[in-house]
Amino acid sequence: MKHNWPIPVVAALWLIAQAVVLTQAPGANPQTAGAGRAETRPTKNPLEGNRDAIRTGGAMFRTRCAGCHGPDARGDRGPDLTGLWASGVTDDRIFDTVRKGVPGSEMPGADPLRVPDREIWQVLAYARTLAESTPPQAFSGTPENGERIFQKTCRTCHMVNGTGGELGPDLSRIGSGRPRAALTKKIRTPSDKIRPGYEPVTLVLRSGQRIRAVKKNEDEFSIQVMDMRQRVQGYLKADLTEVVADKQSVMPAYGPDQLSPGDLDDLLSYLSTLRGPDSARR
Amino acid sequence: MGTTKARTLRVAAVMVAIGSLAVSAQQAGAPQVTFQDVRDGLKDPTRWLTYGGDYGSQRHSPLTQITPQNVTRLVPQWAFQTDTLGKFEATPIVLDGVIYITGPEDLAWAIDARTGRQIWRYKRDLPNGLIVCCGRVNRGFAVMGDRLLKTTLDAHIVAISMKSGALLWDTEMENFKNGYSGTPAPLAFKDKVVAGMAGAEYGVRGFLDAYDIQTGKRVWRFHTTAGPEDPGHRTWQGQDAKAWEHGGGSTWTTGSYDPELNLVFWGTGNAGPDYYGDLREGDNLYTASIVALDGDTGKLRWHYQFTPHDVWDWDSTQVPVLADVTIGGQLRKAVLFANRNGFFYALERATGKLIYGKPFIQTSWAKEIRPDGRPILLTGSLPSEQGTKVCPDASGGTNWMSPSFDPALGLLFVTSRDACGTFFNWQDEYKPGEGFRGGAVSRLEEFHHAGLRAIDVTTGERRWEFPYSAQSWAGVLSTASGLVFAGSSGNFMAFDAKSGKNLWHYQTGSALYAGATTYMLDGRQYVLMPSGTTVTAFALPEATPAGGR
Repeated sequence: MKHNWPIPVVAALWLIAQAVVLTQAPGANPQTAGAGRAETRPTKNPLEGNRDAIRTGGAMFRTRCAGCHGPDARGDRGPDLTGLWASGVTDDRIFDTVRKGVPGSEMPGADPLRVPDREIWQVLAYARTLAESTPPQAFSGTPENGERIFQKTCRTCHMVNGTGGELGPDLSRIGSGRPRAALTKKIRTPSDKIRPGYEPVTLVLRSGQRIRAVKKNEDEFSIQVMDMRQRVQGYLKADLTEVVADKQSVMPAYGPDQLSPGDLDDLLSYLSTLRGPDSARR
Repeated sequence: MGTTKARTLRVAAVMVAIGSLAVSAQQAGAPQVTFQDVRDGLKDPTRWLTYGGDYGSQRHSPLTQITPQNVTRLVPQWAFQTDTLGKFEATPIVLDGVIYITGPEDLAWAIDARTGRQIWRYKRDLPNGLIVCCGRVNRGFAVMGDRLLKTTLDAHIVAISMKSGALLWDTEMENFKNGYSGTPAPLAFKDKVVAGMAGAEYGVRGFLDAYDIQTGKRVWRFHTTAGPEDPGHRTWQGQDAKAWEHGGGSTWTTGSYDPELNLVFWGTGNAGPDYYGDLREGDNLYTASIVALDGDTGKLRWHYQFTPHDVWDWDSTQVPVLADVTIGGQLRKAVLFANRNGFFYALERATGKLIYGKPFIQTSWAKEIRPDGRPILLTGSLPSEQGTKVCPDASGGTNWMSPSFDPALGLLFVTSRDACGTFFNWQDEYKPGEGFRGGAVSRLEEFHHAGLRAIDVTTGERRWEFPYSAQSWAGVLSTASGLVFAGSSGNFMAFDAKSGKNLWHYQTGSALYAGATTYMLDGRQYVLMPSGTTVTAFALPEATPAGGR
């Protein structure tokens, strides 16, 4: 039976439901280990400079953070962390980012059941030892020219803010802390490290036809790809004579002959401006 | 005369009616499952009465209707969906055309095995603040009499009526706020039900309990970390004098039972903290071990420790398979154990003496297992602050996924994985209810390989492998017709038991975290596979009538 509730009642119920949701959220439950202590948590790292904490935090950083932020915290898939403090970001804010993660990015939150507050402070104590005293140098190129290069060279395969191709990763957030060295490497030598979801494959059909593509998924009996026409398609392995795992990325390597150092600077400057969907264009 | 005859007939009719009522009443009161029924295992192929199919946990069915020749015709008959989040890790109980299965969030159902239609649903009101490391899952019921027994996420054990799903009793095993939880299927025999627990990532003290099936009262408890009263206590040394009090050793996968020896065989979990061993120097008995306990008293008869002083999170919570096998020309009553540490073991069932231990995946931590049962460690395999590469990784060569054993072929089928990890450790401090791991592991992807492997138990050598495209958490079922059911990447698959050749597959649409079961009903053999939050029943198509479509 459908109820026709008066609007004030619905509003009141909604507010109560929100209150319940809030009180049931992991952070609001005092029994949840390490969680929900924002009200009692110190705003400054209580373990900063503590030798034991730095040593332990270093091991934690290497296993939990270095995969994306690099062993020296200078960034790789994730942002360079060495300039955070010099940029004026507080311990408290960094703690929150580690605990909650960054929605819409690959940065996960730290589960309070697995990672107590103490361990986050230990990691931050270690990361602080790697910090630079000055913020990272700003990109020096001309972003306007960089955007022109992007539109001409990159947008066929890469999307930014909803326009462009989808053979390569969406770059709408690429500028949010991705370091210059990591971006340069991706452009100059893209085959060095290829992200899952973009691994290049060549499918050989029974007819002998070869289809170059990036792999989206695979199991024992089938493979799902995006081909160079940017069409997603699945194939039965029984219909293929071979699935070749290619070493070369489908992204061409843009060496100095294809992209001069000046143009690279401009392109990097443009990419550094990309910090997420542009609300003005929505 | 006629009147007398009529009266006689009426009296006879009344007596027949009374007799029928008496029989009905007697049948209604008779327990549906006796100890002998469970002891008979899969002899009655309409039934599946324990987690492992029989007390020996062989998961090998005598059924032969589905064969290597006709398995390609296997098709879904019905599907049951939980309408919840989470996943099935359970093996169901099957009895008299009804399936009893537990699911995520301490839900459970009775399902019509013919149609997949729900008969009843059980839901436990769980408190907030549960501390569960690895999924809010449950691995199944035990059954005895008219009762289903299950552990709960808040570390209780409950008895439920098979007829209605009503709660009959509810006993707290331990306080969940201190990191304890219940996920394994219990094991029932005689008048007792044995239940394990989880929580070694939170500094719990592991145990195995037995409860009275009628009353729910605890009959015995065996602690898996040796206290001061136990000779094994001297194996707990190091920085923390009370390390044994929060030394882990949980018991989260169902064990086996030998009715003749009246012994319970159960694997124990990692020592805690997982990776930082300085707090607990010594072997840390009885973690990462198998223990053989007297079924009546819970007293330790023997133990065998697979990984002394475990610092790699290699719980020995795999399923011990009891089998009589010929090894070296001698018939041995053995316990077969494919361990998370990468070695496959055969032990004497009565004594725990090692028969052999051989690697079934790539390992780098131990050179070999000595004849006295102790591993010869390789240097450079201990976790460190800088990270140490060790094979296997923390998830191990296999895990909770159940193997199966085909006695006719002498082959044990096990879901295996080759993956190395970089093990980091750091000092940790025990606080009740908080994570207590002392380290973490990064997996090295380049060594990743997984597959279904057949191990010849007479030698411990690999007979065949079917490689998977990704790691699998699926258990295994085999049948007397020469089939093995397992899977990966959501594909439920059938293999030829002799060769490992893949014969059939069906994409279920979700990862497989449980093993298949099989039963006869109305003359048809069904194969049941949980996947994600769906259970699908497969069978061969019904015979087409002669001259039919």
